[in-house]
Amino acid sequence: MTDADRPASAPLAWATRRDLMALAGASVGALAVAGPAWAQPAPKRGGVLKVSANANPSSLDPATGGAGSDHTFLWTIYDTLVEWDYDTLKTKPGLAAFNFPDPRTLVLDLRPGISFHDGSPLDAAAVKFNLDRGRQDARSNIKADLSSVASVDVSGPLQVTVKLLRPDTALPAILSDRAGMMVSPKAVQALGKDHDRKPVGAGPWRFVSWADNEKIVVSRADNYWRKDRGFVDGIEFSIIPELATGLRAVVAGQGDFAYQVPPRLMPLIDKAKDLQKVTGPTLYCLQLYFNLAKKPLDNLKVRQAINFALDRPSFVKASLAGVGEPAYMNLPKSHWAYDETLVKLYPHNLEMARKLLAEAGFKDGIELTVGSYTDQDSVRRSEIVGEQLRKVGIRLKFITGTIPEISGQFFGNEKKFDMLLSAWTGRPDPSMTYSLMYAKDAYFNAGRVELSKELTELLAESRAAERIEGRKLIFWRLQRIVMEQALVAPLAFQYELVAASQKVKGYKANLLGKPKYEFISLQG
Amino acid sequence: MLASARLRVIRRRLLQALPVLVLATLVVFGLLKLMPGDIAITLAGENATDQRIAEIREQYGLNRPFLVQYGSWLANAFQGDLSKSLATGEPVATSIARAFPNTLLIVVLAMAVALGLGIPLGLLAASRPDGLRDRLLTSAASLGIAVPSFWLAMILVAWLALDFGWFPATGAVPLKDSIPKALHHAILPALALAAGGVAEVSRQLRSSLVEILASPPVRTLRAKGLSASVILCKHGLKNAGVNLLTVATLLFNRMLAATVVVEAVFAIPGMGNLIVNAALTRDLPVVQGVVFVMVLVVITVNLLADLLYTVLDPRIR
Repeated sequence: MTDADRPASAPLAWATRRDLMALAGASVGALAVAGPAWAQPAPKRGGVLKVSANANPSSLDPATGGAGSDHTFLWTIYDTLVEWDYDTLKTKPGLAAFNFPDPRTLVLDLRPGISFHDGSPLDAAAVKFNLDRGRQDARSNIKADLSSVASVDVSGPLQVTVKLLRPDTALPAILSDRAGMMVSPKAVQALGKDHDRKPVGAGPWRFVSWADNEKIVVSRADNYWRKDRGFVDGIEFSIIPELATGLRAVVAGQGDFAYQVPPRLMPLIDKAKDLQKVTGPTLYCLQLYFNLAKKPLDNLKVRQAINFALDRPSFVKASLAGVGEPAYMNLPKSHWAYDETLVKLYPHNLEMARKLLAEAGFKDGIELTVGSYTDQDSVRRSEIVGEQLRKVGIRLKFITGTIPEISGQFFGNEKKFDMLLSAWTGRPDPSMTYSLMYAKDAYFNAGRVELSKELTELLAESRAAERIEGRKLIFWRLQRIVMEQALVAPLAFQYELVAASQKVKGYKANLLGKPKYEFISLQG
Repeated sequence: MLASARLRVIRRRLLQALPVLVLATLVVFGLLKLMPGDIAITLAGENATDQRIAEIREQYGLNRPFLVQYGSWLANAFQGDLSKSLATGEPVATSIARAFPNTLLIVVLAMAVALGLGIPLGLLAASRPDGLRDRLLTSAASLGIAVPSFWLAMILVAWLALDFGWFPATGAVPLKDSIPKALHHAILPALALAAGGVAEVSRQLRSSLVEILASPPVRTLRAKGLSASVILCKHGLKNAGVNLLTVATLLFNRMLAATVVVEAVFAIPGMGNLIVNAALTRDLPVVQGVVFVMVLVVITVNLLADLLYTVLDPRIR
């Protein structure tokens, strides 16, 4: 049984490296028949799915783009070498089966007979081209993702051997992201930079057109290798940055599908006729980032006081209309590396928060500056957090602006504000999440300080451990350090909220919170 | 005589255009540079490192001095190259060529509504100044000016698009694809944009006409036995033409700016949306390109208005 056949509620069986190898080997034959247990009976082929998309992509070339909102477009055009389970993000074979014959070697065995939309073969040479391009091209934004790769060798017509500088068991997950999206070498060589806007992949749909901030159109790729996916003839993305307006297009019947709808708009979906809503957990974690190099947040007790003062369940109700779950670490409870013991670390305890503040020398309270954004949801969140912390004497002074402006000021060289009220959008592998936020030189570690030696060692270990059970234990230790040291104040995981017309069948939210359309069909 | 007057107007306007273009684009460029935030961070991607961000700055020339960046852009712009979007690589001229017709259609429709309704209402109000009809129209006009276009836009969407389903709630169709569909999509935004315009045109026209109708020449016309409607439409309107043209020109230019809000409500991929999205991501070439084209449009409209003045008022010749 592949993961794809596993019912959503089935207990997760943790795979060892051998398990992964066996799974990978078996999957080469099983790839063509893999399909989700939740897929509804006899999906109908045909029709054009009209989607309200909330952002213009940064590029349609996975190696040169940079926005987290690009994936929903990219997944239509590109298949990835590795895939993940929708519910847990546990990796599984995609275009290729994978295994680690030793900790510094990853072998990818490609499925035979796959070709790109331009007819060129998706073989070992194409994979090598892609991985080398990701590592070395001057325009590549995924160099850091592939930094553990020493060399990529073609070891057979359909086999690629990746030699690693250091053990990196996060690599399969990385190859389920941008780095694993295979572009046609022929197209890249012919088009150069223009491939950003005229992409050629091997996904269920081929690129048709892209008008900036207006529309992206893809149509079914007749040569697509899997017959149990990609049911609609085409997808039209109307780019509507204002989320309420995007939803309005679906309510009015002009569109079929709006994603990442803010929970405050849920009553509109409920009120509208002929609309269905789909929700599901995601890695999208609303949180308070700290600048740990600044006083008073360099003081552990102040950070802990903030964590004790937050009433997370109330935050979920008030700011997310209940469409979410309280966050006690950087992973939601359905994730494979979730540690339920951390839930009890910071119960809502105002007395404890006041006591810790007093011990830190702030008996009369403190004032902290917080960066936040100007959109309606952010303002609401700021008000709730401000009120919760005010009860223990922490007075927040919010400075608001656009996302690039405020985030840049906090994480960039300016080092403004003590805290940032924002979100972490999640990554396929938890090691990426923890490295990007807590490694010494990580951009999202605003203070650029080494937070603890043990944490640094664990970050390296998390990518070296072979067995998923072992990795889980490392993440548990890592998460415990992060939370005991109160390096962050997680608030809530915002669930995916999709509004779709009743004719849309087969859609299911995934833990990354970015829609995939491969199983959608249009009925009636 | 007339031709040379017009040539003088054209020459003067064109000479004025150059400094206006340079000044407007320089100010906008400077404002964007002053704003906090850095497109290099956006371009570097989600897993950005400081090193990658520095590489991006180098690649895109974002670390060059302010005046060098501006000068390079301006030199290219005057040669017809508006550069490419930093965020997506699309040529700015392509984005503008696609967005501008959508904006222009809404503004032209809104102008048609504003003039088509505003002129008759102004005539009606002026026909009996301070009468009941005039007072009612004055109140309605005050309301029209007071109602914000974004609020009216949302009411129109909720009512005519969502409740009745008569009009599309969002989007635009290019005229070249389908004229009926393009007009169908543009009607609600145009109505939202035109409400203030109708009121303004009618009020301004009424004021001009009341003044003209009280003048000695009009008294003479009445004494000669001309009917009230002939006096109002033939003589009154002709004399109010210059004022009306001034109002219409200002209104057109203001509507071009007001589309920013209306386009957001209706998710219309026009110039307003283009510049807002670009400004939010610090996509300088796109912002500059839109400003450049909009300044050119405003200068052209003003030039046309100046030429029409010479037709409407012989004294200007």
